[in-house]
Amino acid sequence: MTERTSAVSLHSVTKRFGEDVVAVDDIDLQIQDGEFFSLLGPSGCGKTTTLRIIAGLEFPTEGSVRIFGEEMGLRPPNKRPVNTVFQSYALFPHMNVADNVGFGLRMKKVDDSEVRRRVGEAIDLVRLTGLEKRSPKELSGGEQQRVALARALVNQPKVLLLDEPLGALDLKLRQTMQLELKDIQHEVGITFVYVTHDQGEALTMSDRIGVMSEGRLAQVGSAEDVYESPQNLFVAGFVGEMCLLPAVIVEPGTVRLNGGEVIRARTSAPNGTPVTLTVRPEKLHIYSATSEAPPGRNALKGSIVRQTFFGESLVYEVQISRSDTIEVRVENIPSIRRWSVGDQVIIDFHPEAAMAITE
Amino acid sequence: MTLLDEKEQVVEEAVNPRLERKARKQESWRGFFHAAPAYVYLILFFVLPLLIIFVFSFGSRSNTGKPLLENWNFDSWGRLVDPLVRTIAIRSLWMALLNTAVCLMIAYPFAYWIATRAKQRTRTLLLIAVLIPFWSNFLVRTYAWRMLLGSDGYITQLGEATGLWGRMLFTQPAVFIGLLYGYLPFMVLPLYAALERMDWGLIEAGRDLYASGSKAFRKITLPLSKPGIIAGSILVFIPSLGAYVTPDILGGAKTNLLGNLLVTQFQAARNWPFGSALSGAILIVMLVATMIYFRTGGRTI
Amino acid sequence: MTRLHHGAAARPGVDRSLAIFGSLVFAFLYLPILVVVVFSFSGSESVGRWGGFSLRWYEQMLKNEQLLNALENSVVVALVSTVVATVLGTAAALSLDRYRRWVGRGAFDGLLYLPIIIPDVTMAVMLLLWFTSTGVIPLGRGSITLAHIAFNISFVAIVVRARLAHMDPAMEDAAADLYANRWQAFRRVTLPLIMPGVLGGALLALTLSLDDVVITSFVQGPGSTTLPVYVFGLIRRTVTPVINAVSTLMIAVSMVLVLASLTLQNRTGRRTESKGDRPMKRKPLIEKAESRENQQ
Repeated sequence: MTERTSAVSLHSVTKRFGEDVVAVDDIDLQIQDGEFFSLLGPSGCGKTTTLRIIAGLEFPTEGSVRIFGEEMGLRPPNKRPVNTVFQSYALFPHMNVADNVGFGLRMKKVDDSEVRRRVGEAIDLVRLTGLEKRSPKELSGGEQQRVALARALVNQPKVLLLDEPLGALDLKLRQTMQLELKDIQHEVGITFVYVTHDQGEALTMSDRIGVMSEGRLAQVGSAEDVYESPQNLFVAGFVGEMCLLPAVIVEPGTVRLNGGEVIRARTSAPNGTPVTLTVRPEKLHIYSATSEAPPGRNALKGSIVRQTFFGESLVYEVQISRSDTIEVRVENIPSIRRWSVGDQVIIDFHPEAAMAITE
Repeated sequence: MTLLDEKEQVVEEAVNPRLERKARKQESWRGFFHAAPAYVYLILFFVLPLLIIFVFSFGSRSNTGKPLLENWNFDSWGRLVDPLVRTIAIRSLWMALLNTAVCLMIAYPFAYWIATRAKQRTRTLLLIAVLIPFWSNFLVRTYAWRMLLGSDGYITQLGEATGLWGRMLFTQPAVFIGLLYGYLPFMVLPLYAALERMDWGLIEAGRDLYASGSKAFRKITLPLSKPGIIAGSILVFIPSLGAYVTPDILGGAKTNLLGNLLVTQFQAARNWPFGSALSGAILIVMLVATMIYFRTGGRTI
Repeated sequence: MTRLHHGAAARPGVDRSLAIFGSLVFAFLYLPILVVVVFSFSGSESVGRWGGFSLRWYEQMLKNEQLLNALENSVVVALVSTVVATVLGTAAALSLDRYRRWVGRGAFDGLLYLPIIIPDVTMAVMLLLWFTSTGVIPLGRGSITLAHIAFNISFVAIVVRARLAHMDPAMEDAAADLYANRWQAFRRVTLPLIMPGVLGGALLALTLSLDDVVITSFVQGPGSTTLPVYVFGLIRRTVTPVINAVSTLMIAVSMVLVLASLTLQNRTGRRTESKGDRPMKRKPLIEKAESRENQQ
């Protein structure tokens, strides 16, 4: 076989709890070696269950889980070449930091001097040097998070699984830790599978993202793919902000909105198909109704009905037809022209920015 | 290579529902095996003995009082409605109910007082102060009242000096005091547990809403502490109904309760079948009381 | 945790009456015990009149062969029944808390509560009938121990189960994830974390075993009388100040046990409050599914 072996490969994995609850529904997924892969989705979408299935903490009802080509079947977690950073960290409260970090190595019967050396290195890697003898409860949330990370990494797993590891931290710390995690991944060079419900986190950190909804993978792709070309309404709505407008395809590359306006957009469905036109609020521009729209772009007439101030940006809600409004995000820069409610405007955007999604 | 190693070499296959069911079954067997020693033990030394009570209650006895598992009859159950037995049963039931009610009346304000201390440390210390007599030997605690209520006991001396009461030992009031003293902590602890976890912000809101403190208490505090009241009542009622040591030490021959009647059947009277029927009856009353408790949603003991 | 209890604080009058009432209840709880303790040091024959400080009743107690024999029986029975009940009860608690589905789990869950709520006369009667009718185990220390284990298993199981319920299940997941097999995970992680509960349950079992009168008096044999049963016999027959001395000894033992147990629970509480092992809410859908499964 010439095909490169995936770090993690799930084939038709399904997990049912009881008769009627399907937590994971027939998932196929290949995660490449060295990749930072995120499973993104709202709570209850099955992302944590998927991660636990890879870890062996949960067995699938059906399907195949391979790690570097090796079938895991019903192999218990202690015999899998993966380690996990738990959401609650799950640090052992009766052991100090060094003993927590060394736990896995001691279970693997690595000899004492080797354990000490590797524990030291791992603690250095997460920059906790000097805190070896502390008890986990004497550490801050961020420090506990690093101990959990060191405790997993010290075992040199082939794949590191992270279950919402930053969920319990405050915003500032979360942002620093995001960068640090990414750095650490570069340094150790192993595959990270990262579960999060925070789309911003997934977009900044991941090489690829798998968006999950109701136990299924709604879309798998790079951060840019998922953001710029959502394949369905769920992804369009869940990842980032999105304006949604009902429309009908009139010919390839052209749709007609409810209000009758015909504009150009990316389409793939046959003529006459009802679609939802999606466009990101930051890709829209507002001009005064009296000015001339630039050629080659879509233009919609409307009036401002609401404005919201966000600090770094402003969002205007514009009524473009009796039933439809559209949100426009404008960067808050000194040269910007401010609009007020009632102003007649033209909204314009590049045809590439609008995408018709069939549902 | 050992057999075990060879097994490890077997290439694992993808999971299918059959395999997963097998794994789940294995896991549930593991749970069963953890419980098995205690399970088997309780069946051997609790469930079977419990059932044997009913077997003996239908048996008969020889002239010398030896229990015989032959000539099966309902006589022992029939004797439960004897006037003598009925008198004792009604007295026991009355004592148990009265004790439960009085324990509740004393324990509620007491537990409320402890639970509303602002400092965690004060609450803990007061609770420890309740726990110490609770853990002290029941027999010793009953014996203390025999001293106090006897001819030259302090309570008797006090009563004689004031002319309010005489010697109470071996009377019904003495048994009642003993039961109250013995089981009061059983009422305090669940009530404290219920009151302690209450959301006091709610009471404050209630105070705003109802204006009067007593109304806020009736509408909010009381309903919220209901699980504690039920648990405490069960914990006091059942042992009071089956009390033996207290009436024996403090009640003498005159104030028999069901517990004494029962024990007598296995000692002086040598009537095991009747004793068994009596235990069976107490057991049924207890199970009904407990079922009511679980039906009303309490779980904490 | 600091918290203002407005409920009582808002009304000083009510609070003062409650405080007076509370003190009276404490007096009611402690004075009788205190009288027993004080009079154990009285030189007088009378149990109600002070006769000067004396240790003669303690001397008499130590000379009483029967009493010492009963004490020995009590200690042996209490220790053996505590050890066995602690092992069986802990395993039972694990099976109920960690394994959600197994044959007969529901029945076992209910059965475990029964020995706690059943009146002791009933339990005494049924065990006597069982031991005499089966005839396999003669009445004596052995039958007493077996009877004590029967009620102690339940108490240990309930205490340990409460401790297990406070433990983050992710702890065991983490141990398994870090290459510990089931035994290692139990030995290195679960057991140390539930240890305060296990010891607390064991202390409770020890106390209950040392306290029992009714059940023991039914299933004892010749020469196997325990201390409380012996004292019970004494109380029924006579009133002698020796009983005060023995009672004081028993109260002292109870106090040591209760303080030991509270120290353990206190440590338990502090540990539970630490940030690291607080269980977190997550995957509500799956939890709901699992609990639905368990109800079936």
